[in-house]
Amino acid sequence: MSNANVNELGSSSLQRPQVRPLTRMMIVASIALIGVGAAPFFMDAYSVNVLVRSMIYAAIALSVDILWGYLGVLTFGQSAFFAVGAYATALVFTYGGFSAEYAFAALLIGIAVAVALAGLVAFLAFWHGASALYASVITLVLPIIVTQLLFSGGTYTGSSSGLTGFDTIPLSSEAWFWAVGVWLVVLTTVAWMYTRSDAGRLLTAIRENEQRCKYLGLNTSNIKAVIFLICAAIGAIAGWMYANYTMVVAPEIAGFTFGTELLIWVALGGRGTLFGPVIGTIIIDYASAHLQGDFPFVWKLAIGIVFVSVIVALPRGILPLVSNAANWLRGRIGIAQPQQYSQLQLRQASRSGRNIIGFESRGPALVVRGVEKRFGSLEVLSGIDFEATYGEIVSLVGPNGAGKTTLMTCIADGSKRSGGRISIAGHDIAHRPPEECVRLGVGRKFQMANVFDSLTVGECLQIARARLDPLSKWQKSGVCNLPPSAMHVVRATGLHSDLNVPAQVLSHGKKQALELAMVLALEPKVVLLDEPTAGLTKAERTLIGTILTELARTEQLCILLVEHDLDFVREISSRVIVLHQGRIVLNGSVDEVVNSELVKSVYAGSGH
Amino acid sequence: MVPVLLDLITTAAILYIVSSGLLLVFGVMKLINFAHGGLMTLGGYAAVMATAMGLNPWIGIPLAAIFGGIVGLGMERVVVRSLYNRPLDAILATWGLSIIIGQIITLVFDRGVHFAEPPIRGVINILGEPYSTYRLILTALALLLGLGLTAALRGTSLGLSTRAVIMNEDLARGLGINSGLVRSITFTLGSGLAAVAGALITPLSSVDPNMGVAWLISAFMLVLVSGSSLFSLAVASVVLGGAQVVVSNYFGSVLGGMTIAVLAAVILRIRPQGFSYE
Repeated sequence: MSNANVNELGSSSLQRPQVRPLTRMMIVASIALIGVGAAPFFMDAYSVNVLVRSMIYAAIALSVDILWGYLGVLTFGQSAFFAVGAYATALVFTYGGFSAEYAFAALLIGIAVAVALAGLVAFLAFWHGASALYASVITLVLPIIVTQLLFSGGTYTGSSSGLTGFDTIPLSSEAWFWAVGVWLVVLTTVAWMYTRSDAGRLLTAIRENEQRCKYLGLNTSNIKAVIFLICAAIGAIAGWMYANYTMVVAPEIAGFTFGTELLIWVALGGRGTLFGPVIGTIIIDYASAHLQGDFPFVWKLAIGIVFVSVIVALPRGILPLVSNAANWLRGRIGIAQPQQYSQLQLRQASRSGRNIIGFESRGPALVVRGVEKRFGSLEVLSGIDFEATYGEIVSLVGPNGAGKTTLMTCIADGSKRSGGRISIAGHDIAHRPPEECVRLGVGRKFQMANVFDSLTVGECLQIARARLDPLSKWQKSGVCNLPPSAMHVVRATGLHSDLNVPAQVLSHGKKQALELAMVLALEPKVVLLDEPTAGLTKAERTLIGTILTELARTEQLCILLVEHDLDFVREISSRVIVLHQGRIVLNGSVDEVVNSELVKSVYAGSGH
Repeated sequence: MVPVLLDLITTAAILYIVSSGLLLVFGVMKLINFAHGGLMTLGGYAAVMATAMGLNPWIGIPLAAIFGGIVGLGMERVVVRSLYNRPLDAILATWGLSIIIGQIITLVFDRGVHFAEPPIRGVINILGEPYSTYRLILTALALLLGLGLTAALRGTSLGLSTRAVIMNEDLARGLGINSGLVRSITFTLGSGLAAVAGALITPLSSVDPNMGVAWLISAFMLVLVSGSSLFSLAVASVVLGGAQVVVSNYFGSVLGGMTIAVLAAVILRIRPQGFSYE
């Protein structure tokens, strides 16, 4: 950002719209802290005892919610990190005796081992191309291994009966209640601030559409791994508290069953709400402790039935139901307030220059040499050779199945082609994954409008800029810097008045325009557009056409376009490439192609 | 050496029996039935009931099939049907169903360990070594099961519809195949097979409300590396089951207990399609 930046929408009205929810959260947190402080004076010793454990569980449930509810990683293995923290503590105290230094060391050892283990899990689970199911499978294997290791420790780890009888931090139940309670409130507040911040919205974006994130140049595997490590550390700290407080550890706390119990608490409370899992865990665990004595099996049966019903009928859990009911009630008694959307401002970004290549580099923008793509024995592309320069709009035409979209994919993802070379602005893309191809200057718009449905338009644009403008990790910045090209699209298509609208309610045409703006926000050199006008009205199509020709001229973009509408192609292209059965049959000016007998025969279907 | 080899073969056979129902459901419906373990427990208790009523122990097996089938059909109708588009939620919901089955069993019986009368006792001498007759019978049953299921998929019109749904459900529906019915039947059959497997393993393990959990994880891992092919499942059972037997024998049962899970995870990391050859 340089001083030359202009505020697009009046800098004088620059207010801080995030203050109000933040203030409200601080009030809630303060009330919660006062509650934590006062509660032990009003409760019997048994309840205090149980609630300390419930709050420890709530903290680890919170970490499960971040992973599953926000990031979309269904983890069965959070129990393993909890057990690592607990066993590290128990082992240090059993074999070293208790001292304040040892207690601190145990905490650090627990966190270090848990994070190292999480690093291994993340390496296995979040590689490029791993499915969500595979990640879950790895988190399922983890508790099995940890449990078996605890068994194999023999007398050293206490095998199946665990460890007990070690001295721990000498605090009363009430003191533990305060310590754990304050920690839980602080943790929840921090998690709330993070998940609401610009960077936190990125987690939702990854959950919704990881592929789009990768094609926006974001290394989603790394982001997932970092969050996973942090959650492992939270689990280990909770385990440290658990071992200190209960003075007992047993292999069950590492197991698959406890791992799924955490998921049950989160699902019942309401995944992706933070408060739901925390409150839900405390209520369920507290109620279990009281009811399990009298009706042990019926209670678990009831939990099972409620859990299945919630998963089927209320996937968002019970908390959203409660808050909806509260809103409805507020509406009935007339104190409803209009939904406050935080206002987002667009600003002009200076050219960031963070793409690897310098813009001054000359030569062709895109070089494709001998590119092939085979699926087994089926040859989809063969011997594709062409070049395109800055400021050109090259249209790829050809009947369905000619390989147009496959060619786009090969340019945007270095791992996809079977042979040949592709370079962007003089840099060989080699076998780079999509997020690195973006760094070289490729921007790809998909055939189906590919945006983040549950995010607002403004948030979608912020995510698209995340690679160049790091997102705030603790607040909604309320600002999105867009390069002139993206700003132009947003302005021309009227998206600037929809900034606070969820992307899923946009019309088809506006979704297409939004995705185009997101791609341009990457400041690409080569833009790949797969049927940008499909399903658009005549007026929208003309608008997009005008925008594209302007962009090619003023921004010197190299635009590669897949299109079926030959009229549209004729209006905007500077050159046309005809693909047929995986080969280039013609590469020439618009007139040459439009008047070609060959093209007519290809489209009429007699070209075989 | 001979006992290890026989253990290897019979363990693979048992794993095949235990996993085939889960594979059928995964292949056709593309969802993981985490109630598989609960259904196996149900089958185990069907065998316990047969013993308690003084029936011939073999009766426990069809009894288990009936219990499992009915419960499975009910689960598909009430719960699973609405989760076809949410595969991860389906895992959780079926796990919840498994808890419900386990708790109902606990209420009816109790938490303790039960025993079912084995259908057959004794040993047979093979190459001079005595070996459990029952484990050998299970091997024969596994072979029959594999051949029977393959024949049913290849030779019947329902099998043809099922294969069509496995390959391309939208197209199959477009061709007038009632894919909902195919799914119902598959889930019922898969649940019945789970319960039968539970009844069949009762002579080898004690029966308690959680007996299915450990088997569920092994079966789940085997199915993931097998894709939707019964043949791949046989290969996976032999390779991973064999590895488990070898590791347990030479490195102790603790490492043996995690062999299948670890190997499956590594195989999927290297080759995401596992043992399936597509």
